[in-house]
Amino acid sequence: MTGILKRRFRVGAGLFFLCFIVSRSMAGDVERGRNLYRKWCAECHGDRGQGVPGKHREPLHGSLSLEKLAQLIDKTMPEDAPEKCVGQDAKDVAQFIHESFYSRSARIRNERPRVELLRLSNRQFAHSVADLFVHFTGPGAVARGQEGLKATYYNARGPNRDKKVEERVDATVDFQYGTSSPDPARIGAEEFSVQWQGGLVAPETGLYEFEVRSPNGLRLWVNDEQDPLIDGWVASGNSSEHRASLRLLGGRTYPLRLSFFKFKDKTASIVLRWKPPRGIWETLPARCLTPAQPTPTFVLSTPFPADDASVGYERGSTISKAWDEAVTGSAIEAAHYSLKHLDRLTQSKEGDTNRVNKIRAFARSFSERALRRPLSPEQRVLLVDRFFEPGLSAEESLKRVVMLAIKSPRFLYPGLQAPSHDSFAAAEKLALALWDSVPDNSLSEAARANRLEDPAAVQAQASRMMRDPRARSKMRHFLWHWLHLDHVEEPAKDPATFPDFTPELSNDLRVSLDLFLDHVVWSDSSDFRRLLLSEDTFLNPRLAKFFNVELEAIPHFRPTRFEAGRRAGVLTHPYVLAAFAYAKTTSPIHRGVFLSRSVVGRPLRPPPEAVSFEEADFEPGLSMREKITRLTRPENCQGCHSIINPLGFSLEHFDAVGRYRESESGRPIDASGDYETEEGRGVRFQSARDVAVFAAESPQAQEAFIEALFHHLVQQPVRAFGDDLLPSLREGFASARFNVQELAIQIALRTSASPSTPLKTKAKSK
Amino acid sequence: MNAMRRREFVRQLGVSSASLPFLAGLPSLGFGSPVRPRQRLVVVFTPNGTIPPAFWPDEEGTGFKLKEIMKPLESFKNRMLVLHGLCNKVRGDGDNHMRGMSCLLTGIELFPGNIQGGSHTPAGWASGISIDQEIKNYFQKQDATRTRFGSLEFGVGVTDRADPWTRMSYAGPNQPIAPISDPYQMYRKLYGQARDRESLRSVLDDVREDLKKARKHLAAEDRRLLEEHEALVKQMEREIKMQPATKPVAARPVFQEGIADQNDNVPRLSRMQIDLLVNSFANDMARVATLQYTKSVGQAKMNWLGVSEGHHTLSHEKDENDMAKEDLVKINTWFAGEIRYLLEKLSSTPEPDDSGSMLDHTLVVWTNELGKGNSHTLDNIPFVLVGGGFGFAMGRSLKLNKVPHNRLHLALAHAVGHKIQVFGKTSLCDDGPLALS
Repeated sequence: MTGILKRRFRVGAGLFFLCFIVSRSMAGDVERGRNLYRKWCAECHGDRGQGVPGKHREPLHGSLSLEKLAQLIDKTMPEDAPEKCVGQDAKDVAQFIHESFYSRSARIRNERPRVELLRLSNRQFAHSVADLFVHFTGPGAVARGQEGLKATYYNARGPNRDKKVEERVDATVDFQYGTSSPDPARIGAEEFSVQWQGGLVAPETGLYEFEVRSPNGLRLWVNDEQDPLIDGWVASGNSSEHRASLRLLGGRTYPLRLSFFKFKDKTASIVLRWKPPRGIWETLPARCLTPAQPTPTFVLSTPFPADDASVGYERGSTISKAWDEAVTGSAIEAAHYSLKHLDRLTQSKEGDTNRVNKIRAFARSFSERALRRPLSPEQRVLLVDRFFEPGLSAEESLKRVVMLAIKSPRFLYPGLQAPSHDSFAAAEKLALALWDSVPDNSLSEAARANRLEDPAAVQAQASRMMRDPRARSKMRHFLWHWLHLDHVEEPAKDPATFPDFTPELSNDLRVSLDLFLDHVVWSDSSDFRRLLLSEDTFLNPRLAKFFNVELEAIPHFRPTRFEAGRRAGVLTHPYVLAAFAYAKTTSPIHRGVFLSRSVVGRPLRPPPEAVSFEEADFEPGLSMREKITRLTRPENCQGCHSIINPLGFSLEHFDAVGRYRESESGRPIDASGDYETEEGRGVRFQSARDVAVFAAESPQAQEAFIEALFHHLVQQPVRAFGDDLLPSLREGFASARFNVQELAIQIALRTSASPSTPLKTKAKSK
Repeated sequence: MNAMRRREFVRQLGVSSASLPFLAGLPSLGFGSPVRPRQRLVVVFTPNGTIPPAFWPDEEGTGFKLKEIMKPLESFKNRMLVLHGLCNKVRGDGDNHMRGMSCLLTGIELFPGNIQGGSHTPAGWASGISIDQEIKNYFQKQDATRTRFGSLEFGVGVTDRADPWTRMSYAGPNQPIAPISDPYQMYRKLYGQARDRESLRSVLDDVREDLKKARKHLAAEDRRLLEEHEALVKQMEREIKMQPATKPVAARPVFQEGIADQNDNVPRLSRMQIDLLVNSFANDMARVATLQYTKSVGQAKMNWLGVSEGHHTLSHEKDENDMAKEDLVKINTWFAGEIRYLLEKLSSTPEPDDSGSMLDHTLVVWTNELGKGNSHTLDNIPFVLVGGGFGFAMGRSLKLNKVPHNRLHLALAHAVGHKIQVFGKTSLCDDGPLALS
């Protein structure tokens, strides 16, 4: 068992809690309950259930029904004398707690979350800084179209136009020419050359390693048109593998060029490989290449301390010295980048008579974009003009302007300067919600023309922005978070039990899940329910072989309907099933926690007491279901495991690598389970599909999805925008046939139209 | 590039770095007394062979006279060791220019490869480390001799391409080191961090003021975040101010802006690079340097001397072509003049611990990839040593009998205390280090 599995297991498995007896009469007396609570409970739980440091820290919040809560209190509370509070007393206390602060509706009533002042999250910072420069150089992102790279073949060692033989698109760069040439009829074997160019689509943010294998001469440029990332122009001895690495932001497309030549070497071959973040070494696949020609993007390399995620999603709610230094390091990096690419950014050359003015114009425009609104005359002097004075070169002046813009609180804290709601504030919020970035040209122009007061214009902007690769990138980031897979290690399985489950296979499964999520969300219907119900799984030949599916041997992924009637969207995607399982066996608890949190939208509290699952603790011959049932039988476990287990058992037909099975160690699988909803309604599940159908139709599951997406896009609590927003979004979601893109647009629209609230109210300022 | 005022520079150098991790420090800006007398090595390379009759002194021993090309070095004659008779005996793949260049400091064969010159077999990079890097590594291994960079590789007019004709320094087999030809780039390498701190300091004040202004309009719950931020900015300002005021020995040179890396600017680029080289030595940023003029087969057009033909083309002219010979002598004499500038700078800068001049602790080695341009011989390659600190008996002209140049490399290594038995190709190291003391 890996460490991470162990940790997650503890979170899922060792639920504490009170236990229960069956009670007949349900109604309790709230006033009586309040008095009893003060007497017996408040000392440890606080007068409003908020928790007491040193006693019971966790606030008394939960999702148990009133009946179950009463049962738990009856059996287990107060901790030192459970016999004190029983029968009608327990019922009264439960009634008071449930109504006053325990239940979801009570919490909604009590808590009045507010829109907090936040700094840019790390993701927002990196994308914003990148886009500050993109504005001046054209888009760094191109829409998806054809795959592969544009290739030009020459019958000469240099790219000599007269010797050009062919132009075509190569899906990948993986060629073994031996002692021959790419085209013996037209290209001689002694000397030839090939240029591959196009765009590299980075699936996620992180360090990318590249390798070119060739005994010949080559240069590789990635995201830099001047300096090659790999310079292997001189073939020398046996040095035929060249490696280098580079940081890239996910969801963007970067220029890539590979120049290759053979001259008198004995043989010729070339392979372009990579290892993307979380990925494996492989030939750079066609789906991550495009023959289109993007422009470079500025990618920061300064590392940042992780953002606060204590509320369940990442947001910029805290700062630290390490963060301040990272921002400063980034500001310096950005300043150097602006000087290195000065000609391109300012559209001028050294020696141009107008050079200084162009640099100054760039500096102004850069600051304006960083502040996301026009500079006031005062700001213009302070942020730009005062640096352009005798004694400082234009370059040094620009350097300071860029550093100041990036360190400016008005860049770092969105909404800080909006005097009231206006078009610029709307543009800022839209860009952050849908892209985690700054407004682009079109959006800025709309703001400048004050067109964003008109809801139809905002709607049109949001729809346009949704088609941008940055929106795709943010959506994918969300979906992995929604599935609780964003911090999970790659699933690794016991090689003796699952010899075919190689790192390559695991990598294929991750790609397959990505393709599935994109396939559903970016289809025309973009139907949330299909995430749960679709029977399509993306398979390539390696996966098809693993799952014993007949498939034409084309080296691509394609949606395949197999085991129809058994598979159910993300619930049964083999990557998910393998990630929430042990190295040898399934883990109904991990899977149950996943289904509870991500799919049916039932929050679970972390257990204060850890119980770990040890295979050796059980007599041989028991099924996994029987082991888990025994392990969680104690009544104080059942509070949560009565929710977790029936969900987790529904996936027992799928083994630890996501393959369907009818039996376990020769005994038939029992995937049935009895689940009780938050409202106390009983539901019987027979299979994963039953859970999927239940969740797809459950308002609670839908709301949980909406809330998760909302938090990811806006990074503020949804209820800070009023109690009506969530139900109203759900209504809209349902009437739009659960269109996820439409939901994201609605979230962006609803929040961008509301005023920034960090400003203090007049009443408060007095 | 910004012209730095001297006073401002001194003020900035008060700004060191230890507490700013993103601006990692300048550890060797401070100067303690060295444990043993400092030793430094500079290898100066000029290309395409020399004109032997105008270069080599006729006499042996101490009573020698400098010929035309070396005339500019007259005032350093008694600190000079002229070594005639050293031969690059490395054979194998690659033409003579290529081997002349890439085996010059490595003394070992090139790998087979895809770069072809003349009618020889194609070749790749050198298969071993170069002597400057060997000595640098030796220095960097010890606390007493370790410096921030260890070595610096300067270029003047080196074309922007990577092949065995343009690289003489190697960190190891197949690891050529590109010289930095743009003095502004070298300046940024040496002093960029200090410049960044200066720029940073000029904006921190505004950031802090703006935070103060912004937080006034905020609700109390949100104000806390900006107050914390303000405290962090104050802390950074304080840290920058509190840097120990280490006094630099040598102020950063002041450069005119925008001298492009182009042929006609070579004379100015040369002086800028030499200024930086001596400056970096004075501030003990490195103890080994190379200074590479153009490259093997370099085609500098020395219009400033009235020579409009490319250097390499001229070097192919027959001995009988007096015009060409005259031009080549002019070219080589110009190189000698640049070396004189370097030597003068070193000899006029006091050693930081007051033990004489920097030249007393620096050995300058002037060399070439060929003995003679039109014959492409690798025999009798120019090796002129000037300076001190290596324990060699200077003020002499030696006539050696076809000695492999590997033995000079061994002598350099031994002189700094690095007693290796072999350097480069083993069979060329018989008889050990050349005796020069």
